[in-house]
Amino acid sequence: MHSLQFSVPLLPTSRFKRHSVRCASDRQQLFNRIAPVYDNLNDLLSLGQHRIWKRMAVSWSGAKTGDSLLDLCCGSGDLTFLMSEKAGADGKVIGLDFSKEQLSIASSRQYLLSKACYNNIEWVEGDALDLPFSNGYFDAITMGYGLRNVVDKRRAMQEMFRVLKPDSRVSILDFNKSMQPFTALFQEWMIDNVVVPTATVYGLAKEYQYLKTSIDEFLTGKELEKLALDAGFSYARHYEIGGGLMGNLVAAR
Amino acid sequence: MVRLSKWLLKEAGTGVNKTLSEILVCPLSKQALRVCEEPPSLISDSIGVSFPMKDGIPCLVPTDGKILDTDDTMKHDNAADDSANNK
Repeated sequence: MHSLQFSVPLLPTSRFKRHSVRCASDRQQLFNRIAPVYDNLNDLLSLGQHRIWKRMAVSWSGAKTGDSLLDLCCGSGDLTFLMSEKAGADGKVIGLDFSKEQLSIASSRQYLLSKACYNNIEWVEGDALDLPFSNGYFDAITMGYGLRNVVDKRRAMQEMFRVLKPDSRVSILDFNKSMQPFTALFQEWMIDNVVVPTATVYGLAKEYQYLKTSIDEFLTGKELEKLALDAGFSYARHYEIGGGLMGNLVAAR
Repeated sequence: MVRLSKWLLKEAGTGVNKTLSEILVCPLSKQALRVCEEPPSLISDSIGVSFPMKDGIPCLVPTDGKILDTDDTMKHDNAADDSANNK
């Protein structure tokens, strides 16, 4: 048997820059490494507010009872569990991520939380750039703090468009790359003086320094709207939340 | 109790969830996948690649795939036939 050797950064639509911080494989390993403390750090660093932002993201997705739902870059499953509650027993939720360690934690949480409706969740290890789903399958898609980490955002948007049913929505929550100088400065200060020192205590300074680079390389709200429209979505709107530090892109097929 | 049993079976990787196998397609060809019980895996006949299942979780990142040579394809087919005959 021969292993497949696919180099994601060499895809024709990739924007691989010489000075780019990491390729897909590096990012996958990064998320494997931070998996054990990911949830705790999210709570600590956002003072628990990430839970509110995630509820907003799910609301914006339009997910409802009986739906087939997809949570991309699901990590340890925060958004997946919220989507599961929306879908109910007659619905289905797929949580997809490329980090085995994050999925392992998600799967354990599913068992430990032991809410009956969470039986509607299935975990899949997969790549947001090559989704293992047929066209027009899902009623809604969420993606929390994932788009910023994919090496080809255009391709990720195209895949989301492909697997969505007509008249359905994708809701993408992430850090906001603010055009307001004060907000951008405050965000940078927070990362340098709060996030990284806290992560250092857990031995993850380098991993969380990546956050600043990834926000620098991310797209602004307007650019994200354009990305969605270019991918074929008929409607795209980016909402700033969390005092402008976070943003949620809502796009409809 | 049912939930515990289902979770334990998944963790043991002893089976591919039927509903899930109907939803999933090959990440590259987007064609249907064939379930292989032993070893637990999903076969993409369209491109001759096998994707593993680990702890009940299908691994469908393209680089997780293993290209099947003819011998492996036959082994997988025989295993599928045996399990069909035994039912």
